[in-house]
Amino acid sequence: MQLPFGDYLVGNSLYPLALDLFTPTIFFFFFSASYRVFRYFAVYKKPFIPYATSVTRETSSTEKVKKLVDTFANSSKVGMKRKPVTTAVGLLMHLSLIVIIFLLAQHMIFWAYYISPYKILFPLAIPESSVDGELAFTLATSPYTPTSYPFVHDIWGPLTIILNGQYITYILVILLGIYLGHKFHALAEGLTLRSGDWWFFLLLYIDIILGFLATSHIPDSVAYYDNLLGAHILVAEILIATLPFTRGFHMFEFYLGKIREWYFMTYRRGEK
Amino acid sequence: MAIAEAKVDMEALNKAIDEVFYSQLDSTLLYYFQACVNCKACEAACPFTPTSLHYSPVNKAEVARQLYRYRFTVWGRTVGRVIGGSKKYLSLEEAETMVDYAWHCVNCGSCAFVCPMAIDSGAMIDLLKQVAFKAGMGPKVYRDIAELEASGKYLEIDFFKNSWNSLISKIKDAIGKEVPLDKKGSEVLFYASIYEALAYPDVLVKVAKILDMLNKDWTFMSKPLGIRPPIGLVIGDKDGAVKVMQRVYSYFTDISPKYVMLTAGGFEYPALRYTMHETLKVEPKYEVVHVTELLAKWYENKEFEIEPLDEIITWHDPCQLGKRGGVFEAPRILMKALSKKFKELPSHGVNSFCCSGGGGGCGLPSMVNNMAKALGIAISDDDKKFLDKTSEPLIKAGKIKVGEINKIKAKEVLTGCPVCIESINFQIDYYHANSKVNHIVDILADRIKVSKK
Ligand code: SF4
Ligand code: SF4
Repeated sequence: MQLPFGDYLVGNSLYPLALDLFTPTIFFFFFSASYRVFRYFAVYKKPFIPYATSVTRETSSTEKVKKLVDTFANSSKVGMKRKPVTTAVGLLMHLSLIVIIFLLAQHMIFWAYYISPYKILFPLAIPESSVDGELAFTLATSPYTPTSYPFVHDIWGPLTIILNGQYITYILVILLGIYLGHKFHALAEGLTLRSGDWWFFLLLYIDIILGFLATSHIPDSVAYYDNLLGAHILVAEILIATLPFTRGFHMFEFYLGKIREWYFMTYRRGEK
Repeated sequence: MAIAEAKVDMEALNKAIDEVFYSQLDSTLLYYFQACVNCKACEAACPFTPTSLHYSPVNKAEVARQLYRYRFTVWGRTVGRVIGGSKKYLSLEEAETMVDYAWHCVNCGSCAFVCPMAIDSGAMIDLLKQVAFKAGMGPKVYRDIAELEASGKYLEIDFFKNSWNSLISKIKDAIGKEVPLDKKGSEVLFYASIYEALAYPDVLVKVAKILDMLNKDWTFMSKPLGIRPPIGLVIGDKDGAVKVMQRVYSYFTDISPKYVMLTAGGFEYPALRYTMHETLKVEPKYEVVHVTELLAKWYENKEFEIEPLDEIITWHDPCQLGKRGGVFEAPRILMKALSKKFKELPSHGVNSFCCSGGGGGCGLPSMVNNMAKALGIAISDDDKKFLDKTSEPLIKAGKIKVGEINKIKAKEVLTGCPVCIESINFQIDYYHANSKVNHIVDILADRIKVSKK
């Protein structure tokens, strides 16, 4: 359906297309993810465990739990010691990305639209722009009309002056820029790079920039806005759809790998 | 390592690639192959990265990934080939690089703990070693040694026979009575290899002395079960290793002790404790333990006391005993009893910095040279180059290792693996550090006071 808005027809842009494609994207994602997971089952061989128990290797339950935390924290701990710059960039980048994807107010509404229980997280919403944050702080602005959900600034308060979509995006662009530099360094050193890395990374970079342009209304026109927002969602959809074939899937497999490590090193082997 | 074209049978190489890659895929390896995010965090852990970033775990394992992708992924067979992400076979030059990479990995496992995805690059690089072995591209001197071990012909060699017999007579002198040999049903089977008998006979004598002092029901082997069994595992000879493991298992089962006690905490430990039983699919009636595990247990049972030293001592976790074998606590019980000034190295436990295990060889070049000489194995020019090249990682990794030892001002570095002792000694000498490296038993044996008979 096309609604007139001035001389612009809403619906005549990438935006509705992107929205229409979201459900198929999710299906495609599930299909591909199942394929990836199925492969693990297909080649699974039950490990042969020679020792059921072992007299010299008792580990207390508290120790096992402590080691589970250690297992997850170890890469960051060692990384900060031996490769502080890249590790710090990596950690900050992940943190910023998680905040943007899951807590930016606009994104939260998007997620809640498809997954209703997501609303529980609404009180954690962060505003889109630094101006919103500043106004909330200096003028204690609150909505004119009452809403059934908490106001976006409630929990974060003055922190929203820095904790907002705009600044986090700047940080992300810089961090991903450093990351890009890291990749070029590897390229110059003749170290192996993979197409899957570039694909995921470049799409992410483009997507962040598209999202930033759309929300900042650059260029300032409704037609551009709809197309940019549509493109932002479309690129995100390509990212999601191809996730199981790229490094992006580490957001799920990370847990698998670490729990597997803990199970074999701490639980099964019972190292003290 | 330059390998003249004439020496490489490309057909054998291709066959080896197919055999190794099609035969071994399981979900663990599949996960290692596909979960890597190429973040290069593993660089921080590998003892070979200080030599070159090309030897970073992910870069070495990438060769295995390329061969995997062609065989097991749709895109690897299609687009992947065009953009260099996958390979059906390797060119001669690529194969040389592969062999070079494979021998710049000692399977220490350090990368796995530092990798955010818990990927064991060593396991993938091990596949490359198997390919190299099957294609006849591994260092010849090691292939000859492994062949001697697998065939059992090592028992006919006088040099080995004499070293073993001299070890038994030294033990006899030390305990002042006949050495119990091949005694069935003993509590402890004191296990050692020829390599140990050559590398640290005194340590073995001291172990026997402790067993005798503690009045344990123990036995020793009248004949060694191999040169350093199963050495095939380290050089990529899986079939040879299986043969040797069968021999070892049948001896262990025949003697049927409660514990098989190893003094070496190198690859023998996880190999004989886990790999052997996993491969042969047998549940042992005995338990394979490191000497520190039994000593810590007996110490905690108050069977002896330890007269402490008054100096800063530290423990170097051998990678195979710790990271691969899971033994961290037992040596620390003993170390803490040995000195109130026991200090941990800055990197210890699962993050212990590997000494580079002989720089990528199966021992220090000098030791390999001497052994080859005694066995009448000629060292070819290629092997000489290979052995010489192993010094560089020893020196580069040694800088970090010795730096850590100096940082805590440790007078004595104790450990539990013959190759760690050799490697760190080399590194300490090279950097003129003010420290010594010994097997823990070396120091402990003289400080044990028996409290219960
Ligand atoms: S640390 Fe792990 S995920 Fe990162 S590059 Fe190394 S193997 Fe790959
Ligand atoms: S197993 Fe050890 S030597 Fe091999 S790549 Fe990993 S860290 Fe390096």
